Formats: sequence, C-alpha cells, structure tokens
Amino acid sequence: MKRACWDNAVRIAITIALLSSAAQASVDREPTRKNKAQSPMTSRDRIVTDDVGRPVKMPAEVSRIVTLAPNLTEIVYALGLADKLAGDTNECDNPPAAKLKPHVGEPQNPSLEAIVALHPDLVLATTAINRVETADALERLGIAVYTSDGEAQTVLGILDSIARMADLMLAKTKGADLVAQMRRRLDELHARLGDRPMVHALFVVWLDPLTTIGQNTFIADALRWAGAESVVLSKQNWPQISIEEVVRLQPDYIVFAGTHQESGATELADLRARPVWRELDAVQMGHVVNLSEEAIRPSPGLVDAIEQLAHDVHPEAFTARNQDPIPMALQAREEPMLCVR
Amino acid sequence: MRPLTARRLALICAGLGAMLFVAVVISLRMGAYPISIPEIVMTLLNRVIGRRNEIPPDFWNVVYEIRLPRIALGILVGASLSTAGAGFQALLRNPLADPYVLGVSSGAALGAIISLAIAPQTAGMIQFAAFAGAGGTIAAVYFLGRRGGHVDTATLLLAGIVAVSFLSAMIMFLMTTLPGHEFRGMAFWLMGDLASPPPISSHWLYLLLVIGVGSIYTTSADLNLILTGEQEARHLGVNVNRVKIVVYVAASLLTGLAVSVSGAIGYVGLLVPHLMRMMFGSDYRLLIPTSALGGAILIVLADLLARTVVAPTELPVGAMTALVGAPVFIYLMRRRVR
Repeated sequence: MKRACWDNAVRIAITIALLSSAAQASVDREPTRKNKAQSPMTSRDRIVTDDVGRPVKMPAEVSRIVTLAPNLTEIVYALGLADKLAGDTNECDNPPAAKLKPHVGEPQNPSLEAIVALHPDLVLATTAINRVETADALERLGIAVYTSDGEAQTVLGILDSIARMADLMLAKTKGADLVAQMRRRLDELHARLGDRPMVHALFVVWLDPLTTIGQNTFIADALRWAGAESVVLSKQNWPQISIEEVVRLQPDYIVFAGTHQESGATELADLRARPVWRELDAVQMGHVVNLSEEAIRPSPGLVDAIEQLAHDVHPEAFTARNQDPIPMALQAREEPMLCVR
Repeated sequence: MRPLTARRLALICAGLGAMLFVAVVISLRMGAYPISIPEIVMTLLNRVIGRRNEIPPDFWNVVYEIRLPRIALGILVGASLSTAGAGFQALLRNPLADPYVLGVSSGAALGAIISLAIAPQTAGMIQFAAFAGAGGTIAAVYFLGRRGGHVDTATLLLAGIVAVSFLSAMIMFLMTTLPGHEFRGMAFWLMGDLASPPPISSHWLYLLLVIGVGSIYTTSADLNLILTGEQEARHLGVNVNRVKIVVYVAASLLTGLAVSVSGAIGYVGLLVPHLMRMMFGSDYRLLIPTSALGGAILIVLADLLARTVVAPTELPVGAMTALVGAPVFIYLMRRRVR
C-alpha cells in the first residue's frame, strides 16, 4: 500500500488529466440511433454518431473488434461476443480469458501497427482513459472507432451506454437482456434496502496520497445504489483530502477498490497498523470493505460490486427474515431515494 | 583544429546522411506489424510510379500512415533539439547547456498548453506559443544564472533546475484545473513522445526547421571566434550582439518547434553536440550540420527502440533519451569539475 509518494502523484496526475480532459465531452452528445430501424443487411454502411459526437462509418457486419480499455473488454465478453474480440490492451484482465487475446499495448498509447495487424472492423475506445489522438489516428487509417463516454455520472447512464454499444455491435437483443437483468438486480437491491438510512462511507481511490471520489462520479452513484453515501462532497471528480478531514467526518465505513486482489481483512490489518487511521471508529469496528478493481469499472461487473457493498454495509437487510419477495411497486423506482445531486 | 574544407564538410555530412538513411530503413522495417524489406521497397516503388491501387491497404497504412510520419517527426525533433542544444552551448558558453536541462523545453510545453487552452484551432498558434515559452524561459534562466556580470555554470544549472520544477508544476496545475480540453496527456508534455505525429504533409514545420538550423549556421564562423573570447571577437569585427540575438531566437524557435509536436524530450541537445565534438572537433561550421544530422539519427533510433523493445507496448521516446543522456550529463559534469 505504501508506495513511493511521487510514483503515486504522477499516476494520479496522469489519470486525473486523462479523466478531466474528457470531462465535458458528453455535453453536446446526443446518442443517435436513427439507423436502428434499418436492417443492417439492407444498408452497406451504417453511419452512427458516437458519444463524443464523431460520425462513425460502421461496416455491415461486425466480426473483428479491438477494445482499448478494460471495461470495454468486459462489456464485449458480457455480450457473448468473445469470439469476435480480435484484440485488447495489456490492462484487460477480466474475464481471465481476455488476458490471452492479442494485446495492442497500453490504453493511453496503443500501438497503431498492432491494431492494423489485427484487421479490426470496429475499435472501441472510451474518453475515460484513451486519448483523442488515438481515435484521430485510427480514423485516418480508415478504421471505424467508436468512443464511448467514460465520464457517465450515474449507474443508469452506464447501463444506457452498454445498451448503445450492444446495438453498435449488432447484439441488440443480448444487450437489452443484459441491461434489463442488471436493472432488475439493481431494483431488487433497492427494494431490499427499502428506506434504510444511508451509511456514510469514505471511498478510497488511493491511500497515498489520500484520494477519494467526488459526488458527480459514477462510483458515488454506485455507492448510493448500495445504500451508502460518500462522506466527501466535492465537485471535483478525484479530490485529494487530508487525514484530518477523515477524522472530522468519521465515516461509518471505509471502502477500498484495490489495484491488488487484497481482501477487506488485509486492508483492515494495514489500517490498524497506521497511526490516526487505527483510531477511526470505522477501523475500530472493522468496517472496512474491499471491492475488486474490476468491479468499479463502468462495466457489467459494477452491479456485482454494488451488491457486494450492500451486503457489507447493510448485512441486516440480507438476513433470512428479509428474504420476502419484493413488492412490485418498489421496482418501478427510477432513482435511489436519497440521491442528492 | 583541423582546417575545414568544403570537401571534408561534404564527406562528413554525406556519411552521416547515409547513416540516417540506414536508420530510416531499419525503422521502416521494424515494428509490431511484420513487413519485409522487399515489401517495403514494393510499397515505395508503387507509390513512386503512381500505382497506389497495387499496394495492399495494410502496407499503405503501416508504411505511409504510421511509420513514415513518425520517422519524419523523429528527424524534425532530433535535428531541432540538437541544433538548439549546440546553439545554447555557444550562447551561454557552457557545455552543459541543453533545452531540457535549462527548462527551455518545459517553458515551450507550458506555452503550447496555454495556447491549446486559449485558441486550440488556430494554425501555427501552438508553435508560436511554444517559441514564446522557450524564449521567455531561456531569458529568465540566463539572467538568474548570471553572477557578477558573467554566467556561472553552477548557478546557471541551478536556475535551470528551478525553471524545470516550477514550469512542470505549472503544467500539472493547468492540466488538472482546465477541464474539457483535449490535451494529449501530461506524460506527453513532461516525457516527450512521438506517438501522435502531425500529417507528413505539414511542410511548413520542416520549413521552420530549415530556417532555424540555417540561421544558426550562418553565425557559425562568428561563434567560433566568440567562443575564444567575446572581446577578441569584437576586435576582429564580429557583431557579437547580433550573433547572440540570432542564435537566441533561432534556438528558441527550434526548441518550441520540437516541443510543440513531441513534448519535452530530454538530453538530445546535450548528447549529440558533444558526440559530434568528440568525433569531428569543435568547429561550429561543422558542428551545426553534423549535430542536426546526428540528432535526427539518434531520435529515429531511440524511437525505434521505444516502440519495439516491449512491443506492442510503446515507451515514450523521452524515457529512452534520458536513460542514455542522464549518465552522459553526469560524466561531462564530473569531467569539467575535475
């Protein structure tokens, strides 16, 4: 956990720069699906507009896909399109089979040649970690590249984005099923949690320097779905906060998203060994949750993470007494109750 | 100093030109996409005789759209930075001067980022802003590095270090607080990389290179005299101030040009002029053209390594040059101190 401070600073700085560079990309987007009425078989080329407003000339068939970010790879797998995935990045580790696909380099600077060599008919990118230069270069090479909005602020926004991508890859039915299923799980969870009060959680992006989430990130929204609310209210997406602030806020729970596969127990042991941290109420009570890194990507795995977190912070909602069927009325809810914007 | 004849100059430049050609051929051949020399020759030939349709689309993409623009950018950046380095070394009469070490590259990067934030669409604006940033930084470092009327090596280098850290902090600040702008990522500006070359048809960038190198070259005979002593040069009729201004403007222009298209690539301006001095002596009439060619060779080869050692992952080329350049810098510094 305790890595060189500078290393972390650079990593955060780069991540933040990449994330913020795309922060407003979604402003003028209008998800266009005007071609959905046409059968892909009757039109040779479909022109679709991606999430950043670029027109993408889509081939009639999508049979070779290259993904440039881990969450995109997960979406392709979740849609059952694994055999059409021609390549992904070095960072794509979930599902494990993705590691065996040919890699095209790092998401920030993939090798254009390696992409060309795979003859993709569609490249999927995201504003969250890919650079616009990569999309420009691929466009010049005549390769269809669809950039998805990686700055979605809500879980439902991510569901929409998954549905749009499914549509794009001609897996509309499968995509609708997947999204409906995710939606159903979220609604069930919401019904189960009922109107339990939100627990106050500190979500730790990095421990050194202490970095958390702002209220407009999809992670903050995911916490709300799990019945937890970030104690830090910030308009910045990845604010750095001081340990003093944490002491003042006294969160009920501390939530990690490990870049490592450590369990909550390891994190807890680590925090118990740290001055100041070990005095926090949450640490004393053992209220430390570790979600895997895969789970907090804007991908289908996000719902797993939300469910896990809900189990950890509201265990009483999942006891046998509460295993009743969910009232239908509650399933129609659009947003979690305490979703304060 | 061996007398410089036109014949010697031509021979040496032709030799370096041949080396550059070999480096370009190797760079065209190597990469994540497998392509053989005959296939490259065929691709190039078909283009020359106007039979574009005969070229398989993949070969066209790999040779003309990916590798050649990148190699051309490497030549542009390498030649600019090396010549700028040689120019700064003469201007400051300091062998450790280099656009990166002195913070000039960081100043150019900051200028480029500010111009991207203010007027992202204006053509040539980013180059002008990078030039202004480079010029401003070298002026500041020069005045900070002066002590008792003359430029002191240690003070100058310290001023450079201060400039680098201050400007890097400014860059980080801007990149994190200016949302909604499509910057190329901080690593690009701080480390330098050739992954996003401008279209090969941007001839005016190369025109700027020729103007920059050419104007420093016109002063090279005077620079030789100035380096033996400014007073002596004045007595021999050299307009020292005019020469200094030409070198100052041209070296800033070259640094701004290189940084605007590739970020801050370090140590090239240090490494190459010193290598050329060791091989061919310190006559600036020879040093300027050989530095330009040598810089081009170095960057083309460094970028070849950067994109092949851990292919398909690409390293920033600035990491490769710093890996070689930093130890050479230490060596030069210690040798000077002794």
